[in-house]
Amino acid sequence: MNSEILEKIKEECRKLPDDVSYIVGFVRKQGEPREILRVLRPGEIDRLSYSPLSSSNPSRIVMDLAKSGKVAVIAKGCDVRTLKQLEKEEKIKRERVYIIGVSCPGVIDYRKFRNAVKFRLSEIESVELVGDDVIVKANGNEQRIPFNELIFENCLYCEQPTPKDCDVLIGEPREGRTDFSDIEEFEKLDREERWKYWMDVFSKCIRCHACREVCPICYCEECLVDPSNLAVSPMTPAEEKAAYPRVLGKTVSASDNMVYHLMRVLHHAGRCAGCGECERACPMELPLLKLERKLKKVVYEVFNYSPDEEIPFLSKLDILPEV
Amino acid sequence: MFDPKIITFACNWCSYAGADLAGTSRLKYPDNVRIIRVMCSGMVNPGWVLRAFRQGADGVVIAGCHPGDCHYTVGNYYAKKRYILLKELMKFVGFDDERFKLLWASASEGKLFAEEMTAFTEKIREMGPQEKLRRKIE
Repeated sequence: MNSEILEKIKEECRKLPDDVSYIVGFVRKQGEPREILRVLRPGEIDRLSYSPLSSSNPSRIVMDLAKSGKVAVIAKGCDVRTLKQLEKEEKIKRERVYIIGVSCPGVIDYRKFRNAVKFRLSEIESVELVGDDVIVKANGNEQRIPFNELIFENCLYCEQPTPKDCDVLIGEPREGRTDFSDIEEFEKLDREERWKYWMDVFSKCIRCHACREVCPICYCEECLVDPSNLAVSPMTPAEEKAAYPRVLGKTVSASDNMVYHLMRVLHHAGRCAGCGECERACPMELPLLKLERKLKKVVYEVFNYSPDEEIPFLSKLDILPEV
Repeated sequence: MFDPKIITFACNWCSYAGADLAGTSRLKYPDNVRIIRVMCSGMVNPGWVLRAFRQGADGVVIAGCHPGDCHYTVGNYYAKKRYILLKELMKFVGFDDERFKLLWASASEGKLFAEEMTAFTEKIREMGPQEKLRRKIE
């Protein structure tokens, strides 16, 4: 199934327009069964790989590369959504990007995969999605795992599994859905329970800022949450540095971490495509997408705005509800 | 009796002048309200609100011009958008979102400003001190 997709991807890559100078695609990681993103030259098409474990979002790389040449990119539904968002914010020119869209049934959560699979990771030869099962092959043995045991949770609520705006589409178009049942379920808990839940979550946060670094729409060069953006020289006295204006404290107490995460997701209102990179990158495995999805729900229900609209959410002012 | 601390971000053109009017017309409102003058309610970063709570505020008010009256045309619409998003998020994480308020007060509404501030202070007084986000010395 995904070997067919891979063949089609390679075939499309061979047919690329002449002015494409880079291909951003998935390459199998050494010693592990998953794919990582690589920038390839059009001559290196044979290195490409694709499986349900190809979960990364290439938009950030494309954004940087498209400044210097035309880029072809292999993108799933959410990736194209991010690319469209970056285009809306004038970070990417559409004519600089050639999108090979892949209709995506959902990706595998690597953490779940690691626990479910019985082979050593370095011995796994292939991971294929056939029907509703994932077939893992290693050393001539085979293991079947139901796909819904491994699927990345956010993919269950995917709004756009099929890329909307792409130059070629591979695979059958799939229907997305708008479903906030998990958020509604969480909102039924009473206030103190919710507070306790999030305090537990944020007390684990180590503020490595990986969620910010990996997020394709967190591209600001100077970030608000950095301890200080003002110039510091060796001569700056400590008192002056301590008095620099900061929005956020330097401690890693749970409530400071909460402020960090609230600030972070507030900047994503109406922009987040739900690719889930933040949650995959988080070393403490925090449920960060819950906050993003809550904001998405507010944007849908209170402002009646869909991220697919042409005007960015922040500059659209006629959608405010009555006071 | 518990003495709450209330931080008010008041816009320079309407709400600050309204607060000024309340003062010059000798209307009483609680001295728990501490006003920070900003040029526009649209410049209030949600981070400032959260930081105020971190630093020990019991309530935060953003006060701006009525919709359509903004000195910078649309600043208060941005304020409102941010207010809704932040308020919904606060509710979601279980913070007492009643402690955060948006108030439209024009330069002529000194009376309204004083009344609203009194009512809000009384409400916060009933709710008690804000301990959830307050910075604790560890």
